[in-house]
Amino acid sequence: MELLINLTINGLATGMLIFLLASGLTLIFGLMSVLNFAHGGLFAWGAYSGVWFYSLTGSFFLGILGAILTGAILGFITEKLIITPVYGNHVQQILITLGFMLVLTEMLKVVWGPNQIAAKVPPYLAGSYEFGDVLIIKYRLFIIFVGFLIFGIFQYMLQKTKIGLVVRAGVMNKEMVQALGINIKRVFLYVFMTGAALAALGGVLFAPYSGVIYAEMGFEFAILAFIVVVIGGMGSFSGSLSAAILVGLAGSYMAYYVPALSLAVNMMLMAIVLIFRPQGLFTAKG
Amino acid sequence: MKRKFQLNHYLLVVIVLALVIFPFVSDSRTWTILLTQIFIFSILAMSYDILLGYTGIVSFGHAMFFGMGAYTTAVMLKRIEPTMGMFILSIGVGMLLAGLISFFIGLLTLRLKSHFFAMLTLAVSGLFLVLAEKWRTLTQGNDGFTFKAPEFFKDRVMFYLVALACLVLVYLFLRRFVNSPFGRVLVAVRENEQRTRSLGFNPLHYKVIASVVAGVIASLAGSLYAVSLRFVNTSVLTMDITLDALLMTIIGGVGTLIGPIVGAGVIELAQHYLSGLAKEYPIFERWIIFFGIVYILAVVFFPRGIVGTVREQIWKRKTKKDGSKPVPKKEVL
Amino acid sequence: MMKTLLKVEELHTHIGQYHILQGVSFEAREGEVSVLLGRNGAGKTTTLKTIMGLTPASKGTILFEDEDIKKRPTYVIANSGIGYVPEDQGIFADLTVEENMKVAMRKEDDATLARQEYVLDLFPDLKTFWKKDGGHLSGGQKQMLAMARAFVHESKLLLIDEPSKGLAPIVIEKVMEAITEMKKSTTIVLVEQNFFMASRIGDRYTLIDDGATVHAGAMKDLIQNEELKRKYLGIG
Ligand SMILES: Nc1ncnc2c1ncn2[C@@H]1O[C@H](COP(=O)(O)OP(=O)(O)OP(=O)(O)O)[C@@H](O)[C@H]1O
Ligand SMILES: [Mg+2]
Repeated sequence: MELLINLTINGLATGMLIFLLASGLTLIFGLMSVLNFAHGGLFAWGAYSGVWFYSLTGSFFLGILGAILTGAILGFITEKLIITPVYGNHVQQILITLGFMLVLTEMLKVVWGPNQIAAKVPPYLAGSYEFGDVLIIKYRLFIIFVGFLIFGIFQYMLQKTKIGLVVRAGVMNKEMVQALGINIKRVFLYVFMTGAALAALGGVLFAPYSGVIYAEMGFEFAILAFIVVVIGGMGSFSGSLSAAILVGLAGSYMAYYVPALSLAVNMMLMAIVLIFRPQGLFTAKG
Repeated sequence: MKRKFQLNHYLLVVIVLALVIFPFVSDSRTWTILLTQIFIFSILAMSYDILLGYTGIVSFGHAMFFGMGAYTTAVMLKRIEPTMGMFILSIGVGMLLAGLISFFIGLLTLRLKSHFFAMLTLAVSGLFLVLAEKWRTLTQGNDGFTFKAPEFFKDRVMFYLVALACLVLVYLFLRRFVNSPFGRVLVAVRENEQRTRSLGFNPLHYKVIASVVAGVIASLAGSLYAVSLRFVNTSVLTMDITLDALLMTIIGGVGTLIGPIVGAGVIELAQHYLSGLAKEYPIFERWIIFFGIVYILAVVFFPRGIVGTVREQIWKRKTKKDGSKPVPKKEVL
Repeated sequence: MMKTLLKVEELHTHIGQYHILQGVSFEAREGEVSVLLGRNGAGKTTTLKTIMGLTPASKGTILFEDEDIKKRPTYVIANSGIGYVPEDQGIFADLTVEENMKVAMRKEDDATLARQEYVLDLFPDLKTFWKKDGGHLSGGQKQMLAMARAFVHESKLLLIDEPSKGLAPIVIEKVMEAITEMKKSTTIVLVEQNFFMASRIGDRYTLIDDGATVHAGAMKDLIQNEELKRKYLGIG
C-alpha cells in the first residue's frame, strides 16, 4: 500500500512538471500552430537560473521568481528573434527552433559549465509527512500543489478574463479574431512569454526534486512534453493536464514494475495516438 | 549551359582523383582519418538531404538508420567473423533492415503534417535508443564494445579508399535518382503537395520511397562509421547524429547533393580545429554553439546554404551579363 | 453626390502561386449598399478578404476614407471602422453566444453595452440562445450572430459575404430586414448570389468575373439588363 501511494505521488509530481512544460507548448501550438522544439531549453534554463538565484540569495522563493523572470525574458527573445522571422513556414520553424534548442543547451554549459550541478530542497520543504505508517516526501506534495495551483489560476484566466477569452477564440479561428480588431501577434507574444515562464518554473521545481541538474534535462523532458501535447490534444490546456498526469503515472508505475519499458510505453502511446487519433485522446471533437 | 555542365564534371573528376592520390603522397594519419570521417558523414548528410532538401520532410529520427547500420555491422563482425565478406554482407543486411523499417514507419507516419512527423520521428528514434540501451546482451549499452575490422582494413588507407568509393557511388546513384522523373515528382511534392496530388501522383507513395532510399543510405554510412572506429555504442543512435546531418545539410546547402558534402567537410574540419583550440581557450569546447548560430542564421537568411547561395550568385551575375531578368528560383525550404 | 467611403482600384491578389484577383475595382458610397456579383469562384470572397488584409494585395490601392489601407495589418483595418462578416461566419464554436459577442467588444462600458442591446434587438433570436455554444447554433442563427458581432461597434463600413447562403426563404427575409436597418447608420458592401435579395437591397452593383471587374453601375440598370444578367449570372 505504501509503495502504491508513493508511486502515485511520485507519478503525480513528475506529471505536474511535465504539465508545466506542456501547457505552454500546447497553447503556443494552438494559437499559432508553432511547435517550439526549443521549449525544453527554456525548462533547463529555468532550472539553472533558478538554482543560481537560489544559491545567490539563499531563498528558494526568490530562486523560483528568478527562474520565472528568466523564462519570460528568454521567451520574449525567442519569439522576436526565432519565431517571428519564419512565421508561417512550418519547415523553417521546425528547423530553427531545433537549432535554437541546441544553442540554448550549449549556452547553459558556457555560463554554468558542462558539469552537473547539485540542487538542494529548501529546509522548510525537506523531510516527509507521516500519515499512519505511510511516509510522503514533502517536496513532492509541494510540486503537486504548485501544479494544481497553476492549473487553477490559468484555467480561471482562460475562462473568465477577456485575454483568456481572446486566447481561446484565437485557438479556434485566428483570422476572425484579427478581423474583430485584436492584435493577435501581441497576444501571441504574451502567451509565448507565459509559456516560457511556465517551462522555467517547471525547471526550477525539478531541480531539488532530482537533486542534480544537467544541460540535457531539457531535451529529455521536452520529449515527454511532446508526448503529452499529442495525447492531450494540440491546443487543449485542460487536456494537457490529464495527459501529463497519465504520462507521469505510467512512467512512475512502469519504472518500478517494468523498468525496461517505462519510456517506451509513453512513446508508443504517443505514436498510437498520432496515427489513429491525431486530435488527441482528451478532446471531445471527433 | 551544356559547356558549364561538363566543366563541373571535369572539376569533380579532378577532385576525386586528387583524393585518391592523396594518401599516397601524404603520410599524415590525421588527415587520412579526418577525410575518411568526412566521406562517411557526407554520405549520411546526402541521405538526409533526400528527405529535407528534395522532398521537404523534416525527420528528427535519421540517427535510427545510421545506428542500425552501425550495430548490424559491428555485431556481425564481432559475433560471426571479422572478414571482408562478412563486412559486405553486414552492409547488405543493415540496408535491408533499414529499408524495411523505414518503409513501415514511413507508411504509418508520412501522412502526418510536418510538425507531427518531426515529433514522431523524434520519439521513434528515441525508442530505438532505449531499446539499444536495454538490450545489453547484444549492444552492451552505453559502454559499447570493440570489435575487429577485416584484415584488409588494417591499413587505414584501404579503408579510406573504400569510404571514398562509397561516397562516389552514392553520389552518382543519388544524382541519377534526383534527376530521374521520380526525383522530379519528389520536388513537386515539396513545392506543392496539393497540386502534385491533383496531377494524379500519390504524394505518400513518393515520400515513402524517398524515406526508404534515405534510410538505406544512412545505414551504409553507419556501417562504415562503426568500422572506422572499430567500436560502437549507443551514441550512434542519439539525436547528436541527426543534428550533425541536419547542420551539414543546412549549412552546406539543402536541395543539392554537393551541399551536404561541403557541409560535412566544413563541420568536420571546424570541429577538428576548434576542439584543438579548446586546449587553450575552453570556450571552443562549445564549438557546436557557433554552428548552432550559423545554422539559425542560415535558416533565416541563406536558406539555400553555401552551395545554393554561391550558385545563385553565379546565376545572377550571368543573367546580368545577358541583360535578361534573373529568374527567381523556387525556395527550397 | 454622395461621398465615396471605400475606393478599390486595380486590385491584384496572389494566394500561394495563384493569381486570384487580377484587377478588381469598385467603390462604395456612403450610406449605400454596394453589391458584388459574379459566379462561383469569381473572386468576391477574396476581394473582401483582401480589403480586410487577410489575403494581402500584391498590387492596386484600397482607399478607405482617402487613406490607402492596403499594407495595414488586419486588426488595424478592423479598428479603423470596418466590420467583417465572413462567408463561413467565423463563429468561435466552443464559445457561447455571449462570449462571441464579448470577443468583438473593445470595451465593456455602458455605451457599448447599450449598443449591444440595440444590436440584439435586431436579432432577437440571439437572446434566446445567449448561453449556447456558437457551434451548436443553426445556420441562420450563426449568420445573425456573425452580423451582430460585426455591428456591435458603430462601424463605418460593413463587409458581408453571402448572408443568404444556405438559409430558408423566411430566414433570408429576416436577414434582409436586419441589413435594411443597419444600412440606416452604416455603409455596406455585400456579396450576394441571391439576385432577388441583391436587387432589393442593393443600390449599385459591381460584376466580377475571373478575378476582375467587368461591369458596374446602378442596381436598377442591371435589373433591366437581361443580357448582362444572362452572361455573368446565368439568370434572366
Ligand atoms: N486559399 C486558396 N488557395 C488557392 N486558391 C484559392 C484559395 N482561396 C480561393 N482560391 C481560388 O480563388 C478563386 C476565387 O475564390 P473566391 O472564394 O474569392 O470566389 P467567390 O467569388 O467568393 O466564389 P463563391 O461564390 O463560390 O463564394 C477560386 O477559383 C478559388 O478556387
Ligand atoms: Mg465566396
